[in-house]
Amino acid sequence: MPVTLGPHLLLALLEGVVGALVLALTALGLSLVFGVMRIVNVAHGAFFMLGAVVTWYVSSATGSFLLALVAAPLAVGGIAVVADRLVLRRIGYEPESTIVATIGLLYILEQLVLMTYGPYARPVAAPIYFRIDFGWFGYSGYKLVVAAAAAFLLVAAWLALSRTTLGLYLRATQQDREIAQAFAVPVGRVYSLAFGVGGGLAALAGALIVPVQQAHYLMGLDALLLSFVVVILGGLGSLTGTVVAALVVGLADGAVSVLFSPTLAKIVATLLVGVVLAVRGRGLFGEELA
Amino acid sequence: MGPLAALTPLLETRGIGKRFGGLEAVTGVDLRLARGEVRALIGPNGAGKTTLVGLISGRLAPTTGRVLFAGRDVTRLGAADRVRLGIVYTFQITSIYRRLTVADNVAVAVQRRRLRRLADWLAPDARGLAREVEAALGVVGLAGVAAEPAGALPYGHQRLLEIAMALALQPALLILDEPTQGLAAAEIDALCRLVRDVAAGATVLLIEHNMAVVLELAGRITVMDRGRIIAEGPPREIEANPEVQRAYLGQPSATSS
Amino acid sequence: MTLGLHLAVLAVLAALQLVLPPFHHGMVARVMVLAAYAIGYNLLLGYTGLMSLGHAIFFAAGMYGTGLTVHHGGFGVAAALVVGLAAALAVGAVVGVMTVRTAGPAFLIVTMMLAQAFYLATLHFNELTLGDQGFILPALEVTLAGRAFALADPAVKYNVALVVFGACLLASLGLVRSPVGRVLVALRENEERTRLLGYHTGRYRVLAVALSGLVSGLAGATYTLLFSYVGSTFAGVLYSIYPLLWTLLGGAGTTLGPLVGTLLMTYAIDVTSGITDAYLVIVGAALVLTILWAPAGVVGGLRARWARWLP
Repeated sequence: MPVTLGPHLLLALLEGVVGALVLALTALGLSLVFGVMRIVNVAHGAFFMLGAVVTWYVSSATGSFLLALVAAPLAVGGIAVVADRLVLRRIGYEPESTIVATIGLLYILEQLVLMTYGPYARPVAAPIYFRIDFGWFGYSGYKLVVAAAAAFLLVAAWLALSRTTLGLYLRATQQDREIAQAFAVPVGRVYSLAFGVGGGLAALAGALIVPVQQAHYLMGLDALLLSFVVVILGGLGSLTGTVVAALVVGLADGAVSVLFSPTLAKIVATLLVGVVLAVRGRGLFGEELA
Repeated sequence: MGPLAALTPLLETRGIGKRFGGLEAVTGVDLRLARGEVRALIGPNGAGKTTLVGLISGRLAPTTGRVLFAGRDVTRLGAADRVRLGIVYTFQITSIYRRLTVADNVAVAVQRRRLRRLADWLAPDARGLAREVEAALGVVGLAGVAAEPAGALPYGHQRLLEIAMALALQPALLILDEPTQGLAAAEIDALCRLVRDVAAGATVLLIEHNMAVVLELAGRITVMDRGRIIAEGPPREIEANPEVQRAYLGQPSATSS
Repeated sequence: MTLGLHLAVLAVLAALQLVLPPFHHGMVARVMVLAAYAIGYNLLLGYTGLMSLGHAIFFAAGMYGTGLTVHHGGFGVAAALVVGLAAALAVGAVVGVMTVRTAGPAFLIVTMMLAQAFYLATLHFNELTLGDQGFILPALEVTLAGRAFALADPAVKYNVALVVFGACLLASLGLVRSPVGRVLVALRENEERTRLLGYHTGRYRVLAVALSGLVSGLAGATYTLLFSYVGSTFAGVLYSIYPLLWTLLGGAGTTLGPLVGTLLMTYAIDVTSGITDAYLVIVGAALVLTILWAPAGVVGGLRARWARWLP
């Protein structure tokens, strides 16, 4: 048995780490939006998908993946800001109306992509290609680069939140909206910014994953559900919790997917979240969602 | 009701306490209410009065101690079950169904008491319900606005509606949490008359800052400060109590620290 | 007056089958079954104040409960329907108990996750369910007063749909005007106040979710019997979002809103799908526009302006 189980476990571990870090980046955006704005953004997966699609457009038009990596979060962040101004602000961020509005946004974005980009799954060539030989199997070097890039971006995001004025505004608004307002934090703009940055983070994760996964207009749903899983297990609004939970869920998902079946892994994850929320009404660490 | 029942206090708390994180809001309170009395609960802001009645009504679970009602330990019962036993609470911040009509507000309360068996639910007596709702509104003088949405009433009338809902439950113990707050002088007089009428059939526990109201209504007064009971007795005695005066003037009292 | 209005609506629907051309005849039959689903959803959103994003789990429970017993067990219409209803009621009770401590967005996410787990299960156990592809039911008939009616016959289809819809409509009207309905509305308006009037609010919530699940399951079971198909699409996210949209568009918390919303949206989708493959864009647009400009929905708006008495 060890002869066959060993490589499987190693592969599961590798897939798990790569998946976990990209997931952490996606979920960080969702968690930021919930933490600052107290809203559940159902369109988050659509932002992830848009990031991948924009990356395909930019890199096939210019041949530069790096340019696409910059353009995707900026474009998607911009769309998110516009959505915030045109829709969410007008309904006063009322929790349930916001959920309905972001479901609407999800379908509008997804279907517009279907109209223009089409129903295809299209690949983008990895900017770097090499394989690492593990003896039993070769592993895509780009996947490891993705993991490293995601880890780097997570650290950068954490630094930006803890060391910059913008980060201070975000954290202050998250703590107490009214007090932040009293201290001249422009809460309206902070909301737009949080929604934009949240969307941008999802888009960045989507962009990073395109060379591995291909861009498809329906790829957002899985990203959304897994992000929910992570953000809830990690505790809503808790960024550290989000990253820890992403690693746990990503590794578990990788392991169960490789050893059993991806569908079973998702059934387990979704049931787990349902049960955790049902019992505690909140995540494992973090605050009440009500 | 035998002679023993008359001796048992209607409500008794034994060493009841509540801690919120590091803050001890209520500490080791022993409170006994006799049947039929009107008791005032007074004390400076933050003394723990609302927390104490929260423990009595079951809105909050105690950290220590027990609550006995009519001799029965109700510590582990939820708020709904305690209401069914007759412990009825009116909110400090008016809590009504703002989008429902005044009559519907009271109807929710009345039907809870009327519909006890499954058969009542399946074939409800709509006429009897409407009659009782009308009567309950008549008692507080709101019969004329029965069809208005409750949220459209002036504030004083919303307080009266809240009390009408409580009365519709026919409480054995009625807990009123600052009922005169925000009312005009004439409304306060009307409320006092109402409470006196209620007291003919029920025990009343009244949290109140307006001392004129307290002196007019209460047979005994319990004074709380920093989560503890610091004095208890008839109004004259309490007025003369130096410790009570200190607590109200905000000086450090002898029992604390 | 209210009961009369509802009976008049049913009479109009009954009369329509005499004049509708075949295409619209079929459409309206489908709309009535889906509107029954929306009525189930509305019990929870409109009258209890709980927004679910996982109602497909109930629709699909009814559908699979009925469809699988016909397909694998060779059950007749009545027996299969009973199994479907029992499955939906059971799933409703379980979901109700599991979500009893959640409020607001947490309720929504838990229902979404449970429904997603159910959907994935229909894919995972594809030897039983045939997953995405689904399966077609054999020709079924019901016997009434000694006469056999084939469910494939358009007239039978229409009238079965009408009976199911009518039963759900009148039951929902009866419920919201009953003491239980009054408690559910009280729960929607102010749960804490309701508890302190002596109601065990948790039990009422479970009851509301279970009843909503039962009605949604009845719609799912009827759908599968009339349109002879079972597939995991009906357990997917879209079929949880549809009843939300139908109910909001027609008017949450109005008895006739679900029918109006379902009718409008089904025709809107039909028109759009003639123009583009990306016809679901109309779903997105309708959600955003409703929440921005008409949060009370069509019937809710009518009630606010002209007819305060509408239930």
